[in-house]
Amino acid sequence: MILRLLNRACVLSGSVRLKSTLSTFFDEMGKSGIILKSATTGIFENLALEDWIHDHVDLQNRSMLLLWRNSPAVVIGRHQNPWQECNLPLMRRLGIPLARRRSGGGTVFHDFGNINMTFFTSKKKYDRHRNLKVITSALKALRPDLEVAATDRFDILLNSHYKISGTAAKLGRTSAYHHCTLLCSVDRSVLSSVLKSNTSEVIKSNATPSVPSPVRNLLDVDPTLDSDTIMNAIASQYSNEFGFDGPVITVDPTHEALMPGIHKMAQDLQMWEWIYGRTPKFSVCSSLVVDDVTVKLDMDIKNGAVEQCAMEIPEDWLPSEMVNEFTSALNGSKYCPNEAAVLVAAFTRTVSVTADVAEKIHRLCAGVVSVM
Amino acid sequence: MVRSVPPSLIHHGMLRAASGPRRRCFRCCAVRAAVRSVHPDDMLSRSRCLTRSLGRSISALRQGNRALARRATSGISASQCVSVKSGPSCETRSSVYQIRYFNTTTAHRNEVITVKTPAFAESVTEGDVRWEKAVGDTVSEDEVVCEIETDKTSVQVPSPAAGVIEELLVPDGGKVEGGTPLFKLKKGAGAAKTTAAAPPPAAETPPPPAPPAAAAAPVGGPIPTSMPPVPPVPAQPIQSKPVSAIKPTAAPAAAAADPDAGAKAARSEHRVKMNRMRLRIAQRLKEAQNTCAMLTTFNEVDMSNITQMRTQYKDAFLKKHGIKLGFMSAFVKAAAYALTDQPAVNAVIDDTTKEIVYRDYVDISVAVATPKGLVVPVIRGVEGMNFADIEKTINELGEKARKNELAVEDMDGGTFTISNGGVFGSMFGTPIINPPQSAILGMHGIFDRPVAIAGKVEIRPMMYVALTYDHRLIDGREAVTFLRKIKSVVEDPRVLLLDM
Repeated sequence: MILRLLNRACVLSGSVRLKSTLSTFFDEMGKSGIILKSATTGIFENLALEDWIHDHVDLQNRSMLLLWRNSPAVVIGRHQNPWQECNLPLMRRLGIPLARRRSGGGTVFHDFGNINMTFFTSKKKYDRHRNLKVITSALKALRPDLEVAATDRFDILLNSHYKISGTAAKLGRTSAYHHCTLLCSVDRSVLSSVLKSNTSEVIKSNATPSVPSPVRNLLDVDPTLDSDTIMNAIASQYSNEFGFDGPVITVDPTHEALMPGIHKMAQDLQMWEWIYGRTPKFSVCSSLVVDDVTVKLDMDIKNGAVEQCAMEIPEDWLPSEMVNEFTSALNGSKYCPNEAAVLVAAFTRTVSVTADVAEKIHRLCAGVVSVM
Repeated sequence: MVRSVPPSLIHHGMLRAASGPRRRCFRCCAVRAAVRSVHPDDMLSRSRCLTRSLGRSISALRQGNRALARRATSGISASQCVSVKSGPSCETRSSVYQIRYFNTTTAHRNEVITVKTPAFAESVTEGDVRWEKAVGDTVSEDEVVCEIETDKTSVQVPSPAAGVIEELLVPDGGKVEGGTPLFKLKKGAGAAKTTAAAPPPAAETPPPPAPPAAAAAPVGGPIPTSMPPVPPVPAQPIQSKPVSAIKPTAAPAAAAADPDAGAKAARSEHRVKMNRMRLRIAQRLKEAQNTCAMLTTFNEVDMSNITQMRTQYKDAFLKKHGIKLGFMSAFVKAAAYALTDQPAVNAVIDDTTKEIVYRDYVDISVAVATPKGLVVPVIRGVEGMNFADIEKTINELGEKARKNELAVEDMDGGTFTISNGGVFGSMFGTPIINPPQSAILGMHGIFDRPVAIAGKVEIRPMMYVALTYDHRLIDGREAVTFLRKIKSVVEDPRVLLLDM
């Protein structure tokens, strides 16, 4: 049994508790404020944990704080365009996954030096400023001369200039959650290179944009501040601020028996249709240079799939029927490098071409894929 | 079909809700009294006994079949609403509630409501709308229709009732303030969608048992809407024989909300346009079949030696190279060896210039079936590779695919293809040549079979292999020798070293 109570030596045994889920466990505890810590560092499992708690736990008379950290990942907001927000080819090379969360807001980079905090409350008790006050008070209690303050855009600024925390929230029917990040010791070079898109100039979209800001780690200002210290400080400040006396419980988001349905939620969050397919409609308008020839590319993408594709290529470089066939091969396909490559490869197999035309088609495809 | 129904139950051509509270009939706008104070002939009046009322409701439904046909659309959804609101304690009475609300919903059938933006929290003034549903989508009560993004917060806007989205009043990404009209909802379930005859996967309730239902499928011929489905599954918990028996004769309900449509509509069909890529590939395959003189030769391979080699070396291989040792490397290398030995199989006929093109290099395409169709990544220059190199290349291609970095160059070209039907359990089969190549090797499943070895019967793991080749270019003798070479290499890899 994974559920542990840190300040009580009580371990729930599987046979007794199999019938109950995490929400009934909270009901039985009877506490009005509970602090949870996630036992894993997978971004999808943790996002699924947030959603599960939001959907299944009764928050009318209870509030909760969830503290979690992830291995490197980029998380975009619910209505954002990943091609506009981050450098996807770089992320693929570095093996950094992309996730889309269910709350709004902008794009963030997570790694082990970043603490995530989710405040679960009922809709009536939803108060983001109070939540941020918990964080700033906790930090000030640790280091009184630290200059941290929350803005009315719900960011937390260090020395009034550097952003150390961003916020996003989701309001359901009866309950709500507000989550935010806190930069303690994040790898800033990776952060800045990954969050800088390589194709933003060619994209026209009305997706929610991110507002880039200069960032700083708390570790840069005070090398003695590490994530664990900060997490404990925030946990105790939360109890103080809201007058709770609940324990800190560690939860394993992969424990399906305790949280039925959570595995499927994590799977759904990893599907291409969710991460990329939920992008609001956008269009790509780019001029590629392939073999010293300028190719003008126009694509409309809806639900992550190419709805319409048009290319302008000089007739002497490639015959126009070939170009038309090429663009019609891409129509309806996912806006994804693998898929485009597969389609173009299948396309070249169906036409008998000379070797140099085949090579031109390869290079053209490489150019098109560079914007995906 | 409709037998004589007590006149009390038919009102303006509709089967009147026999056990409902006061309802307004939309035809005559007269207020009808509730059951309890009404008609002496009313079959369902004053019946508190569940089974009796059930029995009566069943016969009422059966008799009122055609009348119900036209109205049940709305009736069903309303009763679904009822079952949702009533909660589990009322399930046992839901069949009675079914009838109760038929009348009601017909009254509201054409009501279109405008849903406004909810008020925003914390003095926020405006937000962006992101649509989840489109015009024409059927939504149930409380299903999310759109999300409004205000200042880093995502607020869901649920549908106040079940119905069909009629109009979206704000474009996707448009700005709204609290109180701005968002969309128009036509109450009542799927009236617009009843013409969709194909059985849509109804997510609301699980399908009731089909057997008695399927038999009496399309009862009541001239039904203007779709095929006659069943009353919905609020009846489910009661599961008694009579309840399932009413299904076939009961009126059609909203096709969109119909769980039993699967059983009934099994006879309809739906058409999907072939996409261009599929058409082109089909055309090319047929062209190849018409120009090539295609035929297949078979052989069988004893996999015991290679299996033993693999078991003996797999751990050390994993340790040294960091990847697993599989069977593909043996077959790929065997094919390369045989191709260098029989260059005709590695060649191709150029139909335009009527030349045979012989190639000095061996690029082997490995056919992989994916949901999107056939993908053929190519291993280049196999003639110079050993088993470890081949496994590494296969692994790299797999990694590229996983990381979404496959390029066209990785999948184009190839002088020979290997296709493995064995992963799906195939025993024996004829692969089809992948144009513009001249031959293809098909591997099949490994099954234990009794074989004769040195005059005795032994059980060996055997695999059938097939070579489909173009007879214009490759003679029978060459094809058979080629396949035998592959067999000898896989059965004893030392042949490679000895160059036999």
